[in-house]
Amino acid sequence: MEHMVDLDAVDDEANTIVASPQRTGFLPIVTNWFDRVFVGIYLFVALELFWMRFLEQSIPLSVCHLLAIALGVLIVWRG
Amino acid sequence: MRSNRVGWLMLAPTIAILGVFGIVPFLYVLYVAFHQWNPFGANPYMIYNGANNFRRLVFDNEFLTSIAFTLKFAFFAVLSEVVLGYFLAQLFMKEFPGRGLFRTIHTLPLIVAPIVVGSVWRLMTTPSIGIIPYLLKSWFGYDLNIGRDATMAFALTVIMDIWHWTPLVTLTLLAALVSLPKEPFEQAQIDGANRWQIFWHVTLPMIRPAILATVFIRLMDALRTVDEVWMLTGGGPGAATRYLGLHIWKIVFPKTDYGYGSATSIIVLYLTLVMCWLLYVALVARRGQKRAS
Repeated sequence: MEHMVDLDAVDDEANTIVASPQRTGFLPIVTNWFDRVFVGIYLFVALELFWMRFLEQSIPLSVCHLLAIALGVLIVWRG
Repeated sequence: MRSNRVGWLMLAPTIAILGVFGIVPFLYVLYVAFHQWNPFGANPYMIYNGANNFRRLVFDNEFLTSIAFTLKFAFFAVLSEVVLGYFLAQLFMKEFPGRGLFRTIHTLPLIVAPIVVGSVWRLMTTPSIGIIPYLLKSWFGYDLNIGRDATMAFALTVIMDIWHWTPLVTLTLLAALVSLPKEPFEQAQIDGANRWQIFWHVTLPMIRPAILATVFIRLMDALRTVDEVWMLTGGGPGAATRYLGLHIWKIVFPKTDYGYGSATSIIVLYLTLVMCWLLYVALVARRGQKRAS
């Protein structure tokens, strides 16, 4: 056995690899940037569908685009 | 750095397959969803129509109704399968005569193709020739006709799904139960815990990942079920069992409205991901957060 694998060293290396920094913002869960983009996109779609169904007759959809993008940016930035 | 390169190389085949069979078709469906496209219509070319397919979709009562029916179906089917699957898994943990034979017979529905399951259940429930209406009539005087009775048609689709997919849940939970260490159970017994306390505080937390994975798989399957229900009821009577998969099938194939069908598919994918994500947050993420704090 010339090449012994140092399992402790492998574990240490694994512990130093951080996939993505996690944090707690105003969302009720700990998130990384991918989670926040995911939530942002999903809320974007939900808001667009809701607007088309209930509000588009009185307020144009472009207002919804602006609101949804602002919400997405807010979630990614502070979520 | 070297280990990263090796990791990416090992992932490359999976990423390539996922890209060709998953991501590219998804992007194409997304592209089609923003077009009006009926290749067999007067104008067979794709015409860009912005968000009109989605606008039409949010006012489509048939679609909204099918969402409600599908959620109801998924709820009853998945919940029953998990509960029944858990009890069967616990049963298979015990020694009893004929356990191997029973386990084999119990697993058999898994190897039957869904379209065949639908055909068999249709034969069994057809009023004049099926064994189920015959037995219900002779034993209870109940006249079963799923062509007329919407509630029974819905119930039978749920029962058929339970019959077909409970073995999968049983096998997954059985594997999880078998792999559990004995020490926590012995310790709980020594501490005087009763069966319910052992289940709630020892077994359930330890098999939570297996339950979660099973629920995800079954939920995704239940939300896009087509062939079994199409064979059993054809979506009827009326639209009582017209679940989302069947709704999309009817838009895309008989009506050949590919643009609208693609938009509907995208929304179904959206709903599925939202539900799985919410379930994940409710069962895993918040728990992890509590533990961390």
